[in-house]
Amino acid sequence: MINVTIDGQKLQVPEGTTILNAAKMAHIKIPTLCYSEELSIYGGCRICVVEVENERLLQPSCAVAVKEGMVVKTHTPKVREVRKTIFELMIASHDLGCKLNCLTCSRGDNCDLQRLAQELGIREIRLNALDKNMSNDYSSYSIVREPNKCISCHRCVRRCEEIQGIGIFTKANRGPAAVITTFKNKGMGNLECVNCGQCIHACPTGALHEVYHYENVWDALHDPTKHVVVQTAPAVRVALAEAFGEKPGRIFTEQMVAALKRLGFDKVFDTDFSADLTIMEEGTELLGRIQNGGTLPMLTSCSPGWIKFIEHFYPEFLDNISSCKSPQQMLGALVKSYYAEKNNIPKEDIVVVSIMPCTAKKYEARRPEMTGDVDYALTTRELAMMIKEVGIDVLNLEGEDYDKLMGSSSGAAVIFGATGGVMEAALRTVYEILTGEELPGIDFTPVRGIEGIKEAEVKVGDLTLKAAVAHGLSNVRRLMNMIRDGKEYHFIEMMACPGGCIGGGGQPIPTDMEVVKKRMEAIYESDLAHGYRKSHENPEVQQLYDEYLGKPGSHKAHKLLHTHYTPRGL
Amino acid sequence: MGETLFLKRKVSEDYSHYDFPILKKVIKMRREDVIAEIKASGLKGRGGAGFPTGLKWELALKEPGDEKYIICNADEGEPGTFKDRFLLENTPLQVMEGIIIAGYAIGANKGYIYIRGEYAKAINIFQDAINHAKEEKLIGDSILDSDFSFDLQLVKGGGAYVCGDETSLINSIEGNRGISRITPPYPIQNGLYGKPSVVNNVETLTAAAEILAQGGKTYANLGTDKSKGTKLVCLSGDVKEPGVYEVEFGAMTLREIIDEFGKGTTGELKFVIPGGVSTAILTDDQLDIPYTYEDIANVGSGLGSGAVVVVSEGHDLLELLQNVSRFFMDETCGTCFPCREGNRRVYHLLKEAVNKGGFTSDDMKLIKDIGKTIYLAARCGLGQTSMCFIGSVLEKYTDELLARR
Ligand SMILES: Cc1cc2nc3c(=O)[nH]c(=O)nc-3n(C[C@H](O)[C@H](O)[C@H](O)COP(=O)(O)O)c2cc1C
Ligand code: SF4
Repeated sequence: MINVTIDGQKLQVPEGTTILNAAKMAHIKIPTLCYSEELSIYGGCRICVVEVENERLLQPSCAVAVKEGMVVKTHTPKVREVRKTIFELMIASHDLGCKLNCLTCSRGDNCDLQRLAQELGIREIRLNALDKNMSNDYSSYSIVREPNKCISCHRCVRRCEEIQGIGIFTKANRGPAAVITTFKNKGMGNLECVNCGQCIHACPTGALHEVYHYENVWDALHDPTKHVVVQTAPAVRVALAEAFGEKPGRIFTEQMVAALKRLGFDKVFDTDFSADLTIMEEGTELLGRIQNGGTLPMLTSCSPGWIKFIEHFYPEFLDNISSCKSPQQMLGALVKSYYAEKNNIPKEDIVVVSIMPCTAKKYEARRPEMTGDVDYALTTRELAMMIKEVGIDVLNLEGEDYDKLMGSSSGAAVIFGATGGVMEAALRTVYEILTGEELPGIDFTPVRGIEGIKEAEVKVGDLTLKAAVAHGLSNVRRLMNMIRDGKEYHFIEMMACPGGCIGGGGQPIPTDMEVVKKRMEAIYESDLAHGYRKSHENPEVQQLYDEYLGKPGSHKAHKLLHTHYTPRGL
Repeated sequence: MGETLFLKRKVSEDYSHYDFPILKKVIKMRREDVIAEIKASGLKGRGGAGFPTGLKWELALKEPGDEKYIICNADEGEPGTFKDRFLLENTPLQVMEGIIIAGYAIGANKGYIYIRGEYAKAINIFQDAINHAKEEKLIGDSILDSDFSFDLQLVKGGGAYVCGDETSLINSIEGNRGISRITPPYPIQNGLYGKPSVVNNVETLTAAAEILAQGGKTYANLGTDKSKGTKLVCLSGDVKEPGVYEVEFGAMTLREIIDEFGKGTTGELKFVIPGGVSTAILTDDQLDIPYTYEDIANVGSGLGSGAVVVVSEGHDLLELLQNVSRFFMDETCGTCFPCREGNRRVYHLLKEAVNKGGFTSDDMKLIKDIGKTIYLAARCGLGQTSMCFIGSVLEKYTDELLARR
């Protein structure tokens, strides 16, 4: 242990502790900006500087480890003055001095710079703005970049590189021309960007945000000739309340459904329904592959960020991916066929909107092989914006139920939202189909939790089924390399975002591992509260097969619910 | 008082038959003894930071690990500095000898020399020298019949001032962007490719070789208590005879250097920048001090890497300031906020001042506040020293600058 004195308080901390963390132990929060607990230390913003006795220069507390006997002062006149000057300099290069932008900015209500200004007690900016005059990057279907708002803190660069293992962003040039950009300034839409949107969570400002579809949805809602159907993904219901000031972890399903009805959607269906359906199709496919010597391991297909990732980085494994569309696309396809036919509504008049925790779903909806299934994919944040615009007091709303036909779900579907959930849901069903018995205990905990790669083996009759789960693309990459090097599995669940969909790029800000854990608890709580725990027990899914599709894997099911992939390479 | 020819001693010699006599001697010595000799000489790094060379080598030798690197820093990006070029062009084999000796002393079998990209002539000469040494088997496996193998590679500089900073230079050799690394860990522990590495300036290594030829004592007998030996001074600006001169520490005052070597100024002297644009200026009344690390530090400046720039009356102060400011603005690597945004802002304030014809005291205060912030909070040496010159001019010529309106 090391003895330190911070602002007059003496304490002992483990060796290697940074000044920043030591201060936290002394209950002092040193302001930070480029720092992020989940990322490597960058030491760029210098906001966290402190005075250390006998040091000529101020020290960045995020980057400096305490030494025996160190005496630290966190808010001397020197420190306060330097922090304020840095802040002034930064704001003056952040487009229009922030005055106008805050009103129209995507991060108007949760901007790190605003937070910091309050923490530093800024009441005056002495410098006029210096324009950067760069143009916005609209090349992506999912994400917009507004470089004039970028303050070069490198959080997006590091998140993309370290957590997602991709590295779309880079620093170019030096001096005043130094900017964060994409490879050769090609734009996010023209590169190996998988649209996961983790960079949005990393960004302290509004320099990164989703491509907004909510205006189009308003247009559709107000168009009397349109029949607008909405679906909500499993992960949205455990996060939406945060956008209204609730603590992470509130299950908000029924209020969300009520709000959607008030917004004027004609039908509110549940993507959980098509998650159950996915299990039926994917489970059947898995059994087929195992029994008929098909390509193994089979890889899940519901995370569009992961799909684009494998198309770029491991195109030689495309045959391993399940041919099932994602639950979003399945439900869209069924609304425009099954539902349309049943209710005699011309397909052309139907608009399918999905509420997703995910920015990559916007891209998925635009994939040429599936165009038309889903018209607009909104993020959880966009839905919150719409609810706020109408002024619905969603926190106190009387809850309502999903609409019939495609509104029922099992607990197995809701856990799709967390890493390991698809695997667990599939095992519950596959086990029972093969053995005629319930999966012992039903809960399959080895695949739960936030460990980056999880492995499990299950005895299913004569077969020992080898399964693995990875989430966060750098973990996914590790697992893919293990497979490439010969490690054998039957079934693998891959999710692009850390924590799975609950940690998706479209979720309320902030989304970090602490928040994700809370949402995860809510997901499993919700599973327990469901009447049915297994996908094949979902009565509306059974009805769909009886009335329309025949059986899982049928010709019609294939036409509507399955897809194919495109090798993209680098 | 003439030049003290310690380093420049061999400049006129014909190098075509040079066969590394110092290395031949050194390679038979114990590594510890080599280092002891350097420690005895009191040699300090000549790249600007002035770290004791013997101690650096000792620390590197003690680091665990078989793979270590010696890197010769020949980036020489500081305006007004051209002594390393002088050595590279005139005594390349002795520079190389210094590199190999340092490699031997710390137990490195691979060396790099990172030469400023613009130094085309020096690069050609040094590459020829490397080829020559390889042919003569002075570089390669088991050199000079010893069990020491050494390989040397020349890397052309990436063209940024910051690449002269040792951690940025290491990034640059690795093929990464030339930006500083967070220290600690220092290169000695975790340098090139994560291995223990010593970075030394060209002049440091050349002096080290010569010290091993003449003995650490001989060198230590030159100079003062705190500044041992000699230093190459790059005299430039408004002097009649600019050039590289070798000065024994403490033997001459700054004014004597200017008058005797530079043959006086070309106009009436206004101020002197004693160690390049990263150091504070000295006015006419401060020049009668011995040329040593300590005496120059005492008057609030530093001798940096040895660039003495003389500025006479007749220059527009604001333009000078803007010039230097522009240099630093353009050369910041863009990593840290105070240096990137601060230097940009100072340049803009100075440009406005030029347009307006002068400063207000508010402008002055802003620049001083920003200067203080950059100095106290910047991430690397470039930023920390970027406002030394500007700050000192503002301080010493406040009235003159404010009066211009
Ligand atoms: C911005 C910056 C530029 C530098 N440029 C050089 C240079 O051109 N040459 C050099 O030898 N050292 C330069 N240095 C100092 C090096 O970081 C390092 O201290 C030196 O190479 C160590 O060698 P020495 O101990 O022999 O002086 C620079 C430092 C900074 C911060
Ligand atoms: S001080 Fe300047 S050169 Fe050094 S890291 Fe910061 S921006 Fe880069």
